Amino acid sequence: MSDPIAYEEEALGKAYDSRLLALLWPFVSPYRWQVLLTLLMVVPMFLIEVAPAWIIKSGLDYVYVPDSSTATESPLAAWILDPPFGWSTILWLALLYLAVALLSMLLQFAHMVLMAVTGQSAMRDLRKAVFDKIQSLHLGFFDQYPVGRLVTRTSNDVENVAEMFTAGVVALITDVFKMIGFAVVLFWVNPKLALATFAVVPFLAVASVIFRLRVREAFRAVRVRIARINAYIQENVTGMKVVQLFTREARNMREFDRMNADHRDAWNSSIRFEALLFAAVDTAAGVTTAIIIWYGTGLVEAGVLYQFIDYMRRFFRPMQDLSAKYSVMQSSMASSERIFQLLETPVEVMDVSSEASPVPVPGLEGTVRFENVWFAYQGEDWVLRDLSFEVGAGERVAFVGATGAGKTTIINLLSRLYEVKRGRILVGGVDIRLMSQEDLRRRVATVLQDVFLFNGSVADNISLGRKDLSRSEIEQAAQIVEAHPFIARLPEGYETEVRERGTNFSAGQRQLLSFARAVAHGGEILVLDEATSSIDRETEALIQRGIHTLMEGKTALAIAHRLSTVQDVDRIYVLDQGRLAESGSHDHLMSLGGKYAGLFDLQRHQEVSTESDSALDWSASPVS
Amino acid sequence: MVRSMSAAPVTSAAEMGESPVRHALRRLSVYLRRNGVYYTGWTILTLFYVAAFVAVPILVGWAIEGALSKDVSQSEMTFRFSTLLGVSLVRGVLRFFSRYLVFTAAREVEYEMRNDLFGHLQRLPQSFYFNWRTGDLMSRCVNDLNAVRLMLGPGLLSVVQTPVLFLGVLVAMFVLDPLLALLVIIPYPLFILIARAFGTSLHMRSLEQQVGLANLSNQVQEVVSGISVVKAYAMESEQARRFKDVNEDLYRRVLRLVVVNGAMPAITGLLPAVGMFAVLLVGGSRIHDGHMDVAEFFTFAMYIWELTFPTFIMGWVVALVQRGSAAMQRIDEVLSVEPSIRDHDEVEAVESLRGEVEFRNLHFRYGDESSAVALEDVSLHVPAGSTLGVVGPVGSGKTTLASVIPRLYEVEDGQVFLDGVDVNRLPLGMLRSNIAMVPQDSFLFSLSLAENVAYGLGEDATDEEVAQAAQRAQLTKDIHELPHGFATLVGERGVMLSGGQRQRTALARALALRPSILILDDTLSAVDAATESAIQAELSEVFKGRTVVVVASRVSTVRDCDQIIVMDQGRLVEHGTHASLMAGQGLYARLASEQARSDRANDHPETTEATSPTQESTS
Repeated sequence: MSDPIAYEEEALGKAYDSRLLALLWPFVSPYRWQVLLTLLMVVPMFLIEVAPAWIIKSGLDYVYVPDSSTATESPLAAWILDPPFGWSTILWLALLYLAVALLSMLLQFAHMVLMAVTGQSAMRDLRKAVFDKIQSLHLGFFDQYPVGRLVTRTSNDVENVAEMFTAGVVALITDVFKMIGFAVVLFWVNPKLALATFAVVPFLAVASVIFRLRVREAFRAVRVRIARINAYIQENVTGMKVVQLFTREARNMREFDRMNADHRDAWNSSIRFEALLFAAVDTAAGVTTAIIIWYGTGLVEAGVLYQFIDYMRRFFRPMQDLSAKYSVMQSSMASSERIFQLLETPVEVMDVSSEASPVPVPGLEGTVRFENVWFAYQGEDWVLRDLSFEVGAGERVAFVGATGAGKTTIINLLSRLYEVKRGRILVGGVDIRLMSQEDLRRRVATVLQDVFLFNGSVADNISLGRKDLSRSEIEQAAQIVEAHPFIARLPEGYETEVRERGTNFSAGQRQLLSFARAVAHGGEILVLDEATSSIDRETEALIQRGIHTLMEGKTALAIAHRLSTVQDVDRIYVLDQGRLAESGSHDHLMSLGGKYAGLFDLQRHQEVSTESDSALDWSASPVS
Repeated sequence: MVRSMSAAPVTSAAEMGESPVRHALRRLSVYLRRNGVYYTGWTILTLFYVAAFVAVPILVGWAIEGALSKDVSQSEMTFRFSTLLGVSLVRGVLRFFSRYLVFTAAREVEYEMRNDLFGHLQRLPQSFYFNWRTGDLMSRCVNDLNAVRLMLGPGLLSVVQTPVLFLGVLVAMFVLDPLLALLVIIPYPLFILIARAFGTSLHMRSLEQQVGLANLSNQVQEVVSGISVVKAYAMESEQARRFKDVNEDLYRRVLRLVVVNGAMPAITGLLPAVGMFAVLLVGGSRIHDGHMDVAEFFTFAMYIWELTFPTFIMGWVVALVQRGSAAMQRIDEVLSVEPSIRDHDEVEAVESLRGEVEFRNLHFRYGDESSAVALEDVSLHVPAGSTLGVVGPVGSGKTTLASVIPRLYEVEDGQVFLDGVDVNRLPLGMLRSNIAMVPQDSFLFSLSLAENVAYGLGEDATDEEVAQAAQRAQLTKDIHELPHGFATLVGERGVMLSGGQRQRTALARALALRPSILILDDTLSAVDAATESAIQAELSEVFKGRTVVVVASRVSTVRDCDQIIVMDQGRLVEHGTHASLMAGQGLYARLASEQARSDRANDHPETTEATSPTQESTS
């Protein structure tokens, strides 16, 4: 899969900046007043940055130097130079300066908190949207999308987008506003000197454009490589047992080292550009200072000189961490693009309306009906072809057939994990597409072949978070499938924690738990994808009895691998390449001498050869 | 539902009375030393940079003085300006190289540490992976490593450079005007107090934020991995509720961090303002009284400007260092786990195995004394080249027994012997390359089918070897059904294959090794009966001259074994051959008869269809 990953990451990086911002808007818009306030705060923040140099300029030109003119230009300057309480003008100016600094600090802090609250609220909503989206996607999606990447979407990628909001968009708008502001102020103070001062700006502008182009390439390479590294770690941690059993450590280390070194090298060029820009801006500020002094002396007073140097530095500062912002923006853009790609994945299976799910047609409760169902996982690669059958309430049917015959697909379609391509499926006389998925899946209890255990207690794993299930109901369910004895033996019984994916339970124990789940969840229709033999036959015998209890009064559909299941069913459907080949009772099918009889004989032949020299008497064993 | 921190098998640095930062430094010193060239070069550059940094404001003052004064010649002025320009340029160049070197070094350390982490993970035993979630480990390898890198790059740059800058500026100011210098510098030591006041809570809150992020990742990871159950049982709203909790929790944790994170630089920003206040008050008066000229005022003002950015950055850097050292601690929780399964200090120089296996009073439990006994007093001798069948009910210890042979789990000395040598004393590499095990979960890697089969072979594996192993595992017939034959990519965990195909690929992978001991742990559960008998027939060839341990739930799978043992609740309860055990009418006979009854009917071909990966989310 390394290539598809690379492909995906490679395809990104085209900056659809405006499009992405538009996509982000719905998440920001609930907080638009906060955003507006955040942006409006730039104005007082700018003014408060202009103030200190103004105060010092007033000091230099009118106060400190004794022989300077005392002519004041404006009421504001007059106010600045008119200390109250008979304070000396020098003390008054210094105090004013300190007050401005304090105010500036408070404003900055308030701005930062406001920005963080707004950004994080939006990101919390975005995270929720990503998670809800993940849960709403049909099962086929997960075959192509590795777990690790979905985790990254909700955690790191969302964090990156939050960064874009705070360190990116807002910071950028603030910076641009301030730069324009300072330029205007400089021209206002002295147009001639301002013009001379801006001499280096075109050079810097060109430098930053070149920087932008070069660094984008570098960042793209970095992203592709880090994605590879993370996928590699994830896979090898998950399969570490195999790695160790097959002594692959040394070779894996070499492979990993190569990827890791590639990633480091990709960074090197971006570091070079970043440092270059940083130093260039620094130098530009130094050169400009020299120009101001050279050209300005004699042209303006010392105070104005001070003002120019001060504002010029503030003008350049945003350019200095431009690279930092740019790198944040780049990785955020990539992150948000990945997030929106995920959010825009079409939901194949969805509820038709938010209205209440239709109730079963009276008299048809508990029935299942497939009407000319066609299905393909991919394109025209039909897995089910025109399949029709009907299971009455309380009936038990089994599906048999070779690999690829479509048995498991029937289950997937019945609980609507995938959508039928043609035809329809009725449960209780209602098209399942008209029912809410939740309602459908409450009616149809499915026992999957592979058991997934969640983090939490054993009891949680049986109730699966349904609050209305009491402890005694949970235990009762475990009793029915005879999982209770082994659970009781666990150190903390039903409260025993299930470790990641249930590694502290054997395959058989996990199976028993999944049966208990199905029992606890009820539903008038039971769908059973029998496990083949991860449960040893003794345990199997235990649960067979439980399954019988469970099936009482229910419609049951089983993917059968066991005689005991096939024996008891009302009807057996034999599938062949997605079509219904035969159906009927065991005896009927045997008498047909068709596919079913063939399968049966193959099996029987093998068993007989096994039994040939042993004194086994089948009939002597107790049949439940 | 969070793995409690106490479960991490290390004492945290705090418990050992070491501050997190100091701990991080101690742990990082190895890497810093290894990249000594970068750091030495950077240190020298820093000294020159500081000299240029200190010189610029003096040169500015000098230039202004010349410009304002009437009696400085034009050529003298040109000289002063060119010096200012030249030093500014040099400062820029030095700044470039200084940043370049330190950031490159940080990437180098990141690279080395990532290699070390991965290498370490590969050495840790299976018991480690019981206690640690994948999401948690990933978060340490990705997020935490990144935080450490930031600490070493911008963090270290600022932490080392800023004090030197201060020192240089202080000296220069003292030479110019001692009193004013003192007044300007007085507020700065307050920074240390500010950093201390904020440091601890920054550290705690960044740790909390990391935990919040890890919880969120785990929640997503779990839902995605178990998506088929989530959907089949309509658990979406319950899971959404759980997610909402971790999401809200993370939101709160981030904001708590942000407040401290933002308050600190803001307060730090006040320090230069206090310095400037002193300059305005004292400097202003002095100029007024004619004791100071305007040029010197400019020099002082410039020093304060120049120090503003490094000081401001320091606030951010403290956060960076705190986060970095918290992250280092989390990385160290992994790195400091001793690989309990490694070569013994007194390793026996054994070069290959014949395959004799012996258990002597083997006791085993997963975890400490409080955990349940998994194996109890198992004694057994399996001669080299013979076959052993292991059967028993769920949780009876069959898999555990098989797993201690290749030392997947740690057993005490004197309990498991191969060729008469304690398994703990055998070289681990030799041991595992002589044993091939097919684990219950047939985990495949997202490589091509051929690469999966050749997984345990060296890089020089030939196509014939692969083809032969595939043939023996009855995989060949599937090959041409696959889109690209042997070159087909099997997808993450082999999702592109059916359950039976996965199991047979895992079998082929083991057979390719040509091991002395072959362990099959219920290997063919998803293989249909016809295929299984074909494999069995082929395997009897493979079994020749090898010790084979077959763990099975079907009695029919083990009936031809030279000896068969029956496990129950961790104990070996029956031992013999198929015939003798059948005659015994014990657990084995019961199992056999029940299975025969149910197997009498059909056992349909491979249960998991190639086209439906739905059921394959677990392994």
